[in-house]
Amino acid sequence: MWTRTINGRVLHFYLAGINNQNFLMRDRETGTWWQQITGKAIYGPLQGAALELVLSEELSFGQWRSESPSGQVLAPIAKYTKEYDPNWEPDVAKLPVVISFPGTELKSRDVVIGLTINGAARAYPWETFAKQSPILDRVNGASLLLVLGPDGKSFRVFLSRIDGKDAEFFLQADTQQWTLLDTLTASQWNFQGCATTGPAQGKCLTRIPALKDYWFDWRNYHPDTTVYKH
Amino acid sequence: MSTSRPSTLRQHPRRGVSIWLWSAFSLCAFAGIAAFLIPTFIIRPFRYEAPGALLVAMALRQRAPFATLLTAVACFALALALWRTVGRWRKSVLVLVLLVVTFSAVMARLNYFEWMFHPIADPQFLAQSESKLDPKEMVLSIHLGDDARAYPISQMAYHHVLNDVVAGVPIAVTY
Repeated sequence: MWTRTINGRVLHFYLAGINNQNFLMRDRETGTWWQQITGKAIYGPLQGAALELVLSEELSFGQWRSESPSGQVLAPIAKYTKEYDPNWEPDVAKLPVVISFPGTELKSRDVVIGLTINGAARAYPWETFAKQSPILDRVNGASLLLVLGPDGKSFRVFLSRIDGKDAEFFLQADTQQWTLLDTLTASQWNFQGCATTGPAQGKCLTRIPALKDYWFDWRNYHPDTTVYKH
Repeated sequence: MSTSRPSTLRQHPRRGVSIWLWSAFSLCAFAGIAAFLIPTFIIRPFRYEAPGALLVAMALRQRAPFATLLTAVACFALALALWRTVGRWRKSVLVLVLLVVTFSAVMARLNYFEWMFHPIADPQFLAQSESKLDPKEMVLSIHLGDDARAYPISQMAYHHVLNDVVAGVPIAVTY
């Protein structure tokens, strides 16, 4: 997700084309072409400008609603309901892939969690991640914590630091409710990255934007990406 | 005295002009149609777009509304000039080409991507307790200030882009 304000000016975007599985959009104000996945203006009067990323997460509706009891959901539009495909994931997985990267260890339609931090890009194969969650990793000097939610579908990425110090987290096995424990303060943490008990209670970990994407797409836009290996 | 020679002499200057008119007409028609067709061909789903080709497509599409209008007007003017000088068969060719040129000029001003993926003009929201969404369905969530919003991926995968304002911040939801 991107902010729509550039240099104090609010832009309105519309779909203008498909570009290697992502899409191109243009703004009504200047007609500039923007790339959906990077938020960068690639042609037109505002060429070279970049939209600011807004943190967003991919969660199951059940998980999201439990965390946001007063939250709002986008209402479906009646005349398009037959276009909305709740099974879009397996359906899209069948579509042809227009680029591939032979020689890389992943297959084109393998799902990864992609993130960039301190200028470095890394991809975490979803299958590996789901099996090993929580994952502690270090990317270009940043300590990261990747967690799969209690629903087995939602995921979050945090900076694995409490009050400026690196910490390690593991899943507490003997609890009814999904809980993380940290090795630094022995506090309990929930899936939102906030400490519910212990010395760190009330503190929340910094969230890191991450994208659930197909390997071919992530690799196409991040040619220098590394791949997480356990 | 032969009666054919004076008439062929009279035809020569007209034939010369006619060739010019036909050439100009063909050129204008070609330019007008290409201005629409080339970007359409390049920007297709399931087709790899090299950066260079994409640049050409965007440059053409940007100028196409004006260019196709200009060539369409020119084509009509040239067709008018040619009309009296040609027979029925060539008149049909002129009409056919003019139709395609007009189609191109109209399409250059329309966004057919929005015919395939209708935009959301005026997004409406439900309280989470009112939503009939299955708990297992995935959503894109955003939380700014006190405003927590969820955009079902099954819907965003169709509409692709939505302009919204969350906690006073104008954002573009994309999928």
